[in-house]
Amino acid sequence: MTSDFPILTLLVFLPLCGSLLLFALRRSDSLVRGGALAFALAELALCIRILPGVNLAAPRAGAPAGFFLFEDAAWIERFGIRYTLGMDGISLVMALLTAFITVIAVLVSWKGIKERLALYYSLLLALQCGIQGVFLSLDLFLFYLFWEAMLIPMLFLIGIWGHGRRVYSAVKFFLYTFLGSLLMLVAIISLYLMHGAQTGSYTFSLAGLMQTEVPYGIGLWLYAAFLLSFAIKFPVFPLHTWLPDAHTDAPTAGSVILASLLLKTGAYGLIRFAYPLFPEAAAAFTPVLYLVAVFGISYGAWVAFAQTDMKRLVAYSSVSHMGFVALGIAAWSPVALSGALMQMVNHGVTTGALFAVVGMLDERTHSRELSSYGGIWGKVPVLSFFFLLFCMASAGLPGLNNFIGEFLVLVGAFRVSPAAALGAFLGIVLTLVYTVRLVQEVLFGQENRPLELKDLSPREAGVLAVLALAAVYLGVHPDPVLDLFRAPIELLTR
Amino acid sequence: MTIADLFSIMPIMITACAALIVLLCGPLLLTRTLYGIGVIASGAAGAWAAFTPAATTPALPGLAFTPFGRFLIPLFCISAALTLLLSHGYNERRAIKGEEYPATVLFALFAMCVLPCATNLLILFLAVESVAFAFYILVTMDLNRAESGEAGLKYLLMGAVAAAFTAFGFALIFAGSGTMELSAALAGAENRAIISAGWGVVIIGMAFKLSLVPAHLWTPDVYQGAPSPVAAFLSTSSKVSAAALLLMLLAFSPPMPELRIPLYLLSLLSMVLGNLAALLQQNIKRMLAYSSIAHMGYLTLALLTGTREGYAAVLLYGAIYTAMNLAAFGAIASLSIDEERDQISDYSGLGFSAPLRGGVLALAMLALAGIPPTAGFTGKFFVFYAAIRGGELTLAMVGIVSAAASAFFYLKVVVHLYMHRSEAPSPQGPPAAESLALCTAALCVIALGVFPAPLIRLVDAALG
Repeated sequence: MTSDFPILTLLVFLPLCGSLLLFALRRSDSLVRGGALAFALAELALCIRILPGVNLAAPRAGAPAGFFLFEDAAWIERFGIRYTLGMDGISLVMALLTAFITVIAVLVSWKGIKERLALYYSLLLALQCGIQGVFLSLDLFLFYLFWEAMLIPMLFLIGIWGHGRRVYSAVKFFLYTFLGSLLMLVAIISLYLMHGAQTGSYTFSLAGLMQTEVPYGIGLWLYAAFLLSFAIKFPVFPLHTWLPDAHTDAPTAGSVILASLLLKTGAYGLIRFAYPLFPEAAAAFTPVLYLVAVFGISYGAWVAFAQTDMKRLVAYSSVSHMGFVALGIAAWSPVALSGALMQMVNHGVTTGALFAVVGMLDERTHSRELSSYGGIWGKVPVLSFFFLLFCMASAGLPGLNNFIGEFLVLVGAFRVSPAAALGAFLGIVLTLVYTVRLVQEVLFGQENRPLELKDLSPREAGVLAVLALAAVYLGVHPDPVLDLFRAPIELLTR
Repeated sequence: MTIADLFSIMPIMITACAALIVLLCGPLLLTRTLYGIGVIASGAAGAWAAFTPAATTPALPGLAFTPFGRFLIPLFCISAALTLLLSHGYNERRAIKGEEYPATVLFALFAMCVLPCATNLLILFLAVESVAFAFYILVTMDLNRAESGEAGLKYLLMGAVAAAFTAFGFALIFAGSGTMELSAALAGAENRAIISAGWGVVIIGMAFKLSLVPAHLWTPDVYQGAPSPVAAFLSTSSKVSAAALLLMLLAFSPPMPELRIPLYLLSLLSMVLGNLAALLQQNIKRMLAYSSIAHMGYLTLALLTGTREGYAAVLLYGAIYTAMNLAAFGAIASLSIDEERDQISDYSGLGFSAPLRGGVLALAMLALAGIPPTAGFTGKFFVFYAAIRGGELTLAMVGIVSAAASAFFYLKVVVHLYMHRSEAPSPQGPPAAESLALCTAALCVIALGVFPAPLIRLVDAALG
């Protein structure tokens, strides 16, 4: 593979090709499933293929500092819009996570999805294309395009294959995020015009726009528009109300992707775009971010404790966990930021896994109510074991992945703002409370209702085992991932 | 008049001759052949215009093949060809017989081809009113539905008033400048008060044609009553030709700051009221009518900036809007099999039982909502970009917020198509002509969204 090989383009558009190809295979269900898995695995292989060649010290010629893979081509020249993709350590980890979680998503849908398979899997792959695009774009127009395009497949996934009030949840999810993004569009255009007026060169490239001198007052508004858009995706309190509905009513794979990947795009956008573009405004907004982060951690945990629907409970736990990411970003120190990024990966693995387990239970009993379970450990020990493991990971047990992220965030934040770190610490206690309740009521205790349960099939066990391995690996040996984050974080916090 | 001159106005000749041939030979030929002649003639005229360099000198007094015409004529021709492709099956199902339908479409196209070539106020007026005249007939074409006649009458009465306004406006401009020539009539600085008054009156006339609030009341009834392919043609080419008229007057004359306030109000009211009213509709054609009011509001927003970027955005949006609305109304026409499929709830489950047409309709809805990677996003992006660049930040914000709200009613159609189930048997497959037209429109919607650069180049060339 030569250095000019457009591997990033392949990374973004391979899933889309797969998505179109699946339509040709739509006559046979097993071919569709197999094809989707093949494309998801090919994408993962492609990501892993990049890993050994990574030379963090040698950025590409013409690329902004820190980007070891870079592609740039003219697209809409008249407006200075370019097709620019770039990969640094952060993007690499996010792309890897995306590829990994998509494989998981394909596998957890294997039996649960019974109708319109071709459309389902092609939407799943199209969604992957959008997410990879978001993680790799370095041109704000291109980024915005992927950012919005990502919503369409998710709308259909929730609306067609969801449960309960699926249509309501799908439309709510769509409108919420769509509304937020439009204000960001205004901010992007304003920034573009400001930059053009100052330098005479009109461009949407991130590196170019970062040079813009934004007057402080206007910067606040522009940053606020970016923040709003990203905060809705994040989601930070009080913009999170779409999340419990969307998570609960989505099909299992939808919940997994929503939690593991879509929420990350919000945090990623904040780190990659909003902070570097408006450092002063971001600093001014830091107290707000601290406040919503710390409040979100406790609030999410508190509300999770009150849930009786397992999926809703996990959904609210997401709000709580993403609070740590917000806290790490607010602190914006190297340690806190690497903690936030680590927490993004960890939350992707653990919460994705929890949604997968809950989905498996739901497939068996068609109930997600806590009250219909109880004492299932004796019946399904393997499933229960994984359930317990992921719950522990989610609660931040040392040795498992979430602990690393939360720890780094707390250490980093404590140096900058001890009060915020203390507040977040309180949230961890609440996290323990709802996790223990979940474990106790589902796995142990009295059997509330006689349930016919089968233990995991080899496919399900394989999926959960891979996720568990990832959780343990990231928990005991996070260094490789942290190493990838180091160089980009240095550049960001300089 | 030289051979070169004749060549340069060939598209006009082709459409006029084709219209006459269809009308005269109508009784002798099969209906299918007549529609075929219409499609081929439109295609040929469009291709001719696209591949002929623009002329610098007028071919006939008052008629020159300008770069502007070189951009718009192919656009009108494509839209007429697609309309004819969509109409044949629809008209057979509705028992709309006879050669007058394709002939009238071709007459409308002929007038549309004349319009961007006009260099004289009188020709301009004749062209724009001939377009309207052809549409008065087309709207009433469905004799079996009372709504069709009602819509036609309504359109005619309101249109006559609008025509009077336009004529009066042109008369005032003539009175102020002393010439009918477009280039000379608007450049004059003396008698500015009279010329601007003329302008104001022309804008009223065009506001009717563009169905801008408060001159929009005819739109929902006409869209609902007219045969669906006619609604497709009316909502796209007729609007674009009205916008083109305004553009021709504005783009080639010194800036007129006094026009900003009326255009501002028209744009504001259209965007806000159009989208709000569309939120409440249960009938898909009425919904699209209000949506087109809002879309014309966006177009006016780009127009009122008075900048070259704004004018480019108008042309760009006109082309993109043509593709989107042809796809939407085309799918509706093709899905209205035994009777009009009017209610949004009539579309439940059609995304699966009629995959091509349901898919095209869904795509058109997403495009109209302005969601990437469709052309609707590109169009909105350039409109709002031009508005912000032109200093209309407040109005752009209003537009963006109302566009965001509009996503709700477009999504409603998508939701019905894919997320509601229906027990109704799946409709019979579309004829090849309809599939071709729908695929072309859908392809344009996607291609212009992903690769708008060629279209932007054409727009730049059109504005010289």
